[in-house]
Amino acid sequence: MKRDVACASGVEVLMDYLEGVLPADVRADVDEHVAACERCTAFIAAYRETPRIAREATSFELPKELGDSLMAFLRAKRGPPER
Amino acid sequence: MDVAGEQVDETTDESLAARAVAGDESAFETLVVRHQSRVYRLVRRLTGEDGDAQDALQETFVQVYRRLSSFRGDSRFSTWLYRVATNTALMQRRARSRRPVESLEAFTARFDDEGRHADEAAVLAVPCHIEQTIDRERLGEKVRLAVDRLPDLYREAFVLRDLDELETAQVAEILDIEPATVRQRVHRARVLLRGFLSSLAEVTR
Repeated sequence: MKRDVACASGVEVLMDYLEGVLPADVRADVDEHVAACERCTAFIAAYRETPRIAREATSFELPKELGDSLMAFLRAKRGPPER
Repeated sequence: MDVAGEQVDETTDESLAARAVAGDESAFETLVVRHQSRVYRLVRRLTGEDGDAQDALQETFVQVYRRLSSFRGDSRFSTWLYRVATNTALMQRRARSRRPVESLEAFTARFDDEGRHADEAAVLAVPCHIEQTIDRERLGEKVRLAVDRLPDLYREAFVLRDLDELETAQVAEILDIEPATVRQRVHRARVLLRGFLSSLAEVTR
């Protein structure tokens, strides 16, 4: 992707780009485009932050009472394992 | 334990699973205690609801106990466990009659006719600063609802890859799809959630 190629093409391959699975020549083209594109730079920064924000919002802790009751439930419930 | 001259770590998941299959109840319980918090977080994220998560947690370990002898060690025990947990959570979610919710598709990336980003850089970067502009609790509530509104295929891959931070290859094994498909689905989820986060700045101004 050269500088004259649109941002949309870069977004399509963004995860592959960030995971390092793009072919070297395509990666170099993306690098070149992003270096010259303020909007892509902003988009990528936000795209990278998004999983962390979602992770923190959903970092559910096992309720203590549920942890306490789980083992008792399993002891009461389980039969012999299938052989 | 020494088998054929090789030291075997008796505290690995795999060795505990082998002992549990052989009838060692304490080995099974050690596995439960070791994984219960992580399994709970996973099924809570996948089901989107406390009650479903509780049922899915219990059912996961019931299934694990019953099917432990089918664990062959071809993959890591954790991969096998997360596959059982994922399938259990998804069945739980599908069994519940859900109110139709508005899709997040409206928040996909926007481009002009020439394929350039339609939004200004400042708008595109909003998620980078969103925690400074919205109350943490309120933001958390909105994000949890947004994750729940992701299309099912995207949400499953996104939860496993980005929220539970599993390797792409492990997610592929759990969902029985190609790694490239995992990346594609996670990417779509990130794009939609990024767009959703950007939109929050507009409503809080």
